[in-house]
Amino acid sequence: MREAGPAARASTVTTLAPERDGAEPTVSEELAGFSARDLGDDRVRGQRRSLAGLLGAYALTVFVLVTLNFFLPRVMPGDPIAALVTPEAATFVHDETLRRELRSYYGLDRPLGVQYLQYLGDLATGDLGTSIRYQTPVSRLVRERLPWTVLLTGSALTLAVAAGLLAGVHSAWRRGEPVDRGLLAVFLGLRNVPVFFLASLAVFAFAVQLGWVPLAGARTLFADTGGLLGQSADVAHHLLLPAAVLATQFAAGYYLVMRANMVGELGADYLVLGRVKGLRERRLKYRYAARNALLPVVTLMALQVSHAVTGAVFVETVFAYPGMGRLLFDAVEFRDYPTLQACFLVLTLVVVTANFLADLAYRRLDPRTTR
Amino acid sequence: MNGEAFLRSPLVAVGAALVGVLVAVALLAPVLAPYDPHALAGDALERPSTRHLLGTNHLGQDLLSQLVWGSRPSASVAVGGAALAVLLALGIGVGAGLVGGWVDVAAMRVVDVFLALPTLPLLVLVAALTGVSWTSLVIAIGALSWPPMARLVRSQALTLRQRGFVEAARGFGGGVRYIVGRHLTPALAPLLVAAFVAIAARAVLLEAGLAFLGLADPTAVSWGLMLHEALSYPALYFSALWSWWVLPAGFAITLAVLGFTFLGVGLEPAFNPRWRRGR
Repeated sequence: MREAGPAARASTVTTLAPERDGAEPTVSEELAGFSARDLGDDRVRGQRRSLAGLLGAYALTVFVLVTLNFFLPRVMPGDPIAALVTPEAATFVHDETLRRELRSYYGLDRPLGVQYLQYLGDLATGDLGTSIRYQTPVSRLVRERLPWTVLLTGSALTLAVAAGLLAGVHSAWRRGEPVDRGLLAVFLGLRNVPVFFLASLAVFAFAVQLGWVPLAGARTLFADTGGLLGQSADVAHHLLLPAAVLATQFAAGYYLVMRANMVGELGADYLVLGRVKGLRERRLKYRYAARNALLPVVTLMALQVSHAVTGAVFVETVFAYPGMGRLLFDAVEFRDYPTLQACFLVLTLVVVTANFLADLAYRRLDPRTTR
Repeated sequence: MNGEAFLRSPLVAVGAALVGVLVAVALLAPVLAPYDPHALAGDALERPSTRHLLGTNHLGQDLLSQLVWGSRPSASVAVGGAALAVLLALGIGVGAGLVGGWVDVAAMRVVDVFLALPTLPLLVLVAALTGVSWTSLVIAIGALSWPPMARLVRSQALTLRQRGFVEAARGFGGGVRYIVGRHLTPALAPLLVAAFVAIAARAVLLEAGLAFLGLADPTAVSWGLMLHEALSYPALYFSALWSWWVLPAGFAITLAVLGFTFLGVGLEPAFNPRWRRGR
């Protein structure tokens, strides 16, 4: 599919290996952004750019995001920002001081160019405006909420990597057997269930019916759980179910990529030699084949941050988990535009930064790209 | 292409059946639904009975009727959004591939920027600011879904450009419009169909997800909105209520997504030239 054209020379770098069955990307995988070949291809294509070029490309993306965040509310039909300070509008803010702060933050009485410069200046100093709902600086809300989201998505990613990689290695090793087909069906099936529905199912099964974990929240409020240890246990107890649900959203990605890469390694000479030498199966499987198949997974890890952020918005909403996603949901509910915009900016910057780090990591990890 | 083999593949059959049911229910909603989905057809929170097969919601609206009518936004946004994305990808991909030069570079740079934008937060922001209507959803989903496919189309167009029949057509004086219409689009059709189905699956998820977050036309009936209302109901989990309010809508979304996904995965071997070679 990508055989000719300028990109082809780069793509052959990653696909010098003979036709690997099972390793071909499907259009659906390609569109979902995580086919093994495509990842390699993309990254290698990126490599031909210098570090400066890479930085430039990401700077451009950040610039687009920041500018979108400024212009979107201002060019939208009905002018939602103006409605906040127009007495006839439904979203009119009645509090006098808050209204004054809003007007000064959005600079509604000044020309657009001046507003834009002021917005950039505010951003640079970490001023994200004032929340309409909570009547506190949005930057403080973000500082409170972001750590919870980082904790949740971090735990989910760790879980997903562990489960996806192990299952992928196993599946490839037993390719075509019932174990393989079963695992494939489970991982692909889970990815097609909307995460908010899956979360609700999980709450019902594990929190309501079985009572193993709390219904919602991130910790027991007003509880004297005694000491750091007790508190950590409490937080972990609350974290378990949301993290597991979130993990199902991207475990499939690691699983598929790892499986495809492993299958690609299976016929390799070094494995035949190893087997002739009489090495044990476990050693061949994990120390030899799996290690060689691991590289694209690194890139995938950062690319998945985008899926993680999306999933976190839904999972936090269902579990009332006090992170950025829940903040976004509440901001939508209350039409709290400054908070909404801050959430958008923070979440998207996290994703873009992760992608940038993936590019950097890949430059270091793949010796073929540093010529 | 071994036509019969792929049509007989169980994945395609199941996928086609699921999508067929979705479309049929959406079209026949006025006939199938026992009540007007907005009407207060019974008491609040009735259990399932012969009068209300799936019970009623907190307002007393018939849940089965809501489920039937809820297929409409899912089906129409999926089809509309995917169609728009395919058109954009075809235009931009073919344009970049055929014209080449700086147009190509610029188009691919735009694709890179778009790929780096996280879809959901952007959709949430736009939807919260503009309010949600069918048109705005289709435009937003279409405008955010074309980039990966445009890249596939472009690389395919680059290959095709150098193929004999296209060169011959050009040699005989065929113009750009003739070549695109007569040669490129038919050659790209399999790819476009596969991409259409894959994007439709994502569009169903996005539409339901936004509605779940409360970003939907509040007067409309949709599966995502049903879940939004159910999960906003404080005592949802403390009775059997959950099982007829949340489960049907959740499974409906899942089956719709699965239908499109199965179709896509099942059609792939027939369309992907690499797969064909091996058989």
